[in-house]
Amino acid sequence: MKEKWSRFILAVRDSSWKVKLSAAVMGGGQFLYGSYGKGISYFLLEIVIIAYMALRGVKDIQGFFTLGTQKGDAWLGTVGDNSVIMLLMGIFAWIVLAAFLYLYQLNLKDAYHTQKIIENGKRPLSFREELAQLLDKKFYITVLILPVLGVCVFNVLPIVFMILIAFTNYGGDIVPPELVDWVGVANFEKLIALSQFAPTFFKILGWNLLWAVVSTVLNYFLGLGLALLLDKECVKGKAFWRAFPVLAYAIPGFITLLAFKFMFSYGGPINQIITAGGNTAIGFLDLDAKWMARGIGVLVNCWISVPSIMLLATGHLSNRDMSLYEAARIDGAGRWKQFQKLTMPFMLFATTPVLLSQFIGNFNNFGIFYFLRGGLYVDGYFLASDTDLLINWLYNLSIDNNYYCIGAAISLVIFMITSLISLIIYVKSPSYREEDTFQ
Amino acid sequence: MKRKSIALCMAVCLCAGIFTGCGKDGESQETAQKMQNEQDKQEKEQPSVVSTVFNGELEHDVTIQVLENDTAVSKGYFAELIEAFNEEYAQYGIKAVDANMDQYLDLANDGPYGYGPDVLYQANDIIMQYAEGKHIYPLPAEKMECFEQIPEAAWAAYRIDLEGTAYTCGVPVNVQAPMLYYRKDLLPQDWENVWDENGNKIPDMAENWNAMYAYSVSRHAENSSQYGYMKSLFDVYFSSGFLFTYGGYIFGNNNTEPADIGFSAGEAEKGAWVLSQLASTMNEECIDDSITTNAYSKLADGTYFATITTPDMYSTFLEEMILAYEEEGLSKEEARAKAEENLVMTTLPALPESGDLTEEGASFLAAKSMGGINGYAVSAYTKHPNACLAFVEFATSYEMMVRRSELLGVAPARNDAADAVGGTSQLLYNNLEAGNIVLMPSIKEVSQIWTPGETFFIDLAKDAFRPEEEKKYTDLDAMKKGLEGVDQQIYDAIFTLK
Repeated sequence: MKEKWSRFILAVRDSSWKVKLSAAVMGGGQFLYGSYGKGISYFLLEIVIIAYMALRGVKDIQGFFTLGTQKGDAWLGTVGDNSVIMLLMGIFAWIVLAAFLYLYQLNLKDAYHTQKIIENGKRPLSFREELAQLLDKKFYITVLILPVLGVCVFNVLPIVFMILIAFTNYGGDIVPPELVDWVGVANFEKLIALSQFAPTFFKILGWNLLWAVVSTVLNYFLGLGLALLLDKECVKGKAFWRAFPVLAYAIPGFITLLAFKFMFSYGGPINQIITAGGNTAIGFLDLDAKWMARGIGVLVNCWISVPSIMLLATGHLSNRDMSLYEAARIDGAGRWKQFQKLTMPFMLFATTPVLLSQFIGNFNNFGIFYFLRGGLYVDGYFLASDTDLLINWLYNLSIDNNYYCIGAAISLVIFMITSLISLIIYVKSPSYREEDTFQ
Repeated sequence: MKRKSIALCMAVCLCAGIFTGCGKDGESQETAQKMQNEQDKQEKEQPSVVSTVFNGELEHDVTIQVLENDTAVSKGYFAELIEAFNEEYAQYGIKAVDANMDQYLDLANDGPYGYGPDVLYQANDIIMQYAEGKHIYPLPAEKMECFEQIPEAAWAAYRIDLEGTAYTCGVPVNVQAPMLYYRKDLLPQDWENVWDENGNKIPDMAENWNAMYAYSVSRHAENSSQYGYMKSLFDVYFSSGFLFTYGGYIFGNNNTEPADIGFSAGEAEKGAWVLSQLASTMNEECIDDSITTNAYSKLADGTYFATITTPDMYSTFLEEMILAYEEEGLSKEEARAKAEENLVMTTLPALPESGDLTEEGASFLAAKSMGGINGYAVSAYTKHPNACLAFVEFATSYEMMVRRSELLGVAPARNDAADAVGGTSQLLYNNLEAGNIVLMPSIKEVSQIWTPGETFFIDLAKDAFRPEEEKKYTDLDAMKKGLEGVDQQIYDAIFTLK
C-alpha cells in the first residue's frame, strides 16, 4: 500500500502538464500527445457522464439519501416521489459514479503511459491499432464489457437494493405513495427484540439444516448412482431409461408438487387404495403428520432434483480417465475400492461447487413445503408449521404481510448463515485444496 | 394543467386558512366558526374532490380501458356490455375497450406510470386496498341512478374514511356468498311425509342443519359408500359462517378495526361444535381439499347428497350431472332437462340455537355466511373520469345488471334486478339486506385470517377421526379455547412486526 502510494506520488511529480490536463479534461493529454481518437473518446465519455449527472445523476444521488420529500396524491393530481424508484435510481447513479471514477483513473494512467512511451522515443499506438488490439491482445475486454455491464445492472443493482431495503421502513403501511425512510438497523433490532421468535427460529433452523444436508446428500448419491447404473455396458436402451428422469425434470416443479400433494391427500389414489383394502385413510401431509410429511418432502425433492444430478454426473463420468480404472483392476482393486478411490474423488473435485449450490438451493427451497403442506400454523411454532423452512417462515412473517424491510433483514441473516456454511465447505473441499489434481 | 390549477387553488385556500389567525381574536373565532360550518356543509353535500373530478362534463373522443372479470369475458357478457355502451355513447366519441390485462393487476405501481385500466371490476377487498392509497377515485355514489336500488350493506363495503371524510370508492354489482347445492332425486322417496315437517314442499334438509345431519347419518348408515352433506371444512370462507351465526365476527367496528378480532366472540364455539358434528358424518376427505375438488363429480354420481359452494359453480355442477345422466343412457336434451330439474341451489339451512344437531324440536337461527361484493371502480390515474363514470352508470343500470345475472348466473346487488331475476338471486339479495351475509373486510389485514382459520378448521375436522383418547375438542370450552388461539394468531400475524 505504502509502495503504491509512493509510486503514485512519484508519477504525479514526474507527469507532464499534458498529463495533468487529462486530470481536468479527460483525454486532453492523449489528444496533445497525438492519440486523437483515444483522446476524443475519453472526452466524449466525460461529457456523457457529466451530462447524465447534471440531468439526473445528482438528483438521483440526492434522492438516495432523502428517499423522497413530496408525497403523491392521485386525487389531487399531485405527482409525488416514489421512494422505491428513487432508491433504485440512486443505486444506479452510484454505480455510474463508480464507473466514472474507474474510467478517470484509467484515463490518467493511460495519459502517463503515453508520456512515457514518447519520452522513450517510441510512437504511441494509433486509434486504429488500439481498436485492433481489442480484437486481439485485449480481446478479453471486448468479450467481458457487456457481461460486466449486465452483472452491474441485473445482479449488483438488485442485490444492493435488497440489502438496502433492510435498512428502511418499506412495507406494511409504508408503500408508495407513502414515503419510505431510512431506519438504520431498527429492523434487525426488531428481529432480536422479539422474544417469541427465538424458540421458533432455532426449531426451524435445526430442521432447515437437517433438511438441507439430507436432501443434498440423497439427491447427490441417488443422481450419481443412477448415472453410474445407466453408464454400465450391460444396460440396454440407455437413452430410453434416461428419458424417464429427464421427463420428471422437464415438468415444472410446482406442477409435480401439486400432483404429489393430490396423490398423498385423503382423496388421492394412495388413500383410495388403502381404504379400498378396508383400512383407515392416512393423513400423509395433515396437521399431525410431522415426520411423515417431512419424509415425503425429502422424497418428492429427490424426484425433482435427482435427474439434474444424474445428467450432470453422466457428463462428468464420460471425462474419467479409464486407464486409471484399468490400472486399479490390475492392482486388484474391487468395484467398491474403485468407486471409493477413483470415482468419488474425481466427482467430488468436479462437482463440489454444484454440491454447494444444491445445498444452498435446498436450504432455501421455498416451493416444496409451500405447495405440499402450506397454510398451516402448528402449536409450538410462532406463525409457522413444523415442516416450514426458514424461507417459508420468512414469507409468512414478511411478504404475506408486505413487510418488505423485515423480509430483507431476515434474508440477510439467512444469507450470512448459508454463505458461512458454503465458505467453510468450499475451503475444505478438494476443489479448493487440491486445485491441480485433475488438471 | 387542469389538475395543477386545482392543486394551486387548494394551496391558496390552505394559505388563506393560515392567515385567518392574523385578525382580531373575536373576529378570528367568528371567521373560523363560519369557515368550519361552511366546510361541514360542503362535506355533507359532497366531498370536494368528488365534485371536482366528476364535474359532469363528458370527455369527447376518448377510449376507456375496462378490466372485467374473466368469466364475464369468456361467456360473452363483456362483449355485449361494451357494444351496447359504445353504441349509446358513439355521439360523444366515447369508446370502451377490453383492457386485456391480467385480473391480478398492480394499479398502485402501474397506475402512476400510465399503465392499468381506467375502469376496473374487482372484489370489494381488492378495490378498497387501492382506495387506501388513493389509487381509485371516490365516486358521487348518491347521485348515481343505482344508489337507491343497492342496499346500504353493499355500499358500506366500498366506503372509506380518509382524513376525516367518508368516501364511496366503488359501485356494487353482484353479491357472492355460499349456497347449498343438493340433489332432489336423492331425497328419500317419502320425504314429503317424513322430511317436510312444516309441509311447505321444501325438504327439511334444505331448511335446517339438524335435518341435514340426521339425513346424512341415515344415508351413510344405509350405504357406507354414500354420504349426505359433504364439504372440505378447512375453507375459512365457507366454515366461518357457522361461527358468525353464533356471534363470531372477523374484525370489530364493522370489520374496520383489525385489533379487535372476533372469531371466538359470542358463542362462536357453538358454530365450531356444529362443524365438528357435521365432520363426524363425513369421511377423512373433509380434512383437506379433497371434497372441494371432487364434489362436482361425486354429487353427480350420487355419492354425495349435498354440499356448499358459491353460486357461480352452478354450471359446473350442472355439466357434471348432465354427463352422469348421459352415461346412464339418456339423450343430451333429456339429461339436461333432468339435471336442471334435480340440481337445486338454495340459501344455507338454519342452525339450531343450541348448536346441537341432534336436538329435537330445536329453535333455529338464520345462518350467516361470509360473502363478497364485486363492483366497479374508476382508476385515479384515468384521464377521462367522467367518461369512466358514464360507463359505470351504464354497466350498473337495471338492464345490464339483469343481463349480467342471466348470462353469468350471479346475484345482482340491485334490488330491482334481483326481483326481476328472482330465484336464488333474490334470496341472496334478501340475505344481504337482512345482514346474514358478512362481507369480507375491505382492509388489507384480512389477508392474515386465512392460515390461522384454516389450521383450526383442519384440526377440528381431524378431531372427528382421532381416537377418543386423543381428541382435542371434547367440549365447548375446548372449542372456545381453540378459537381464541385463532384470534391470537391473527393478532400476532398482523401486529408482531407492525
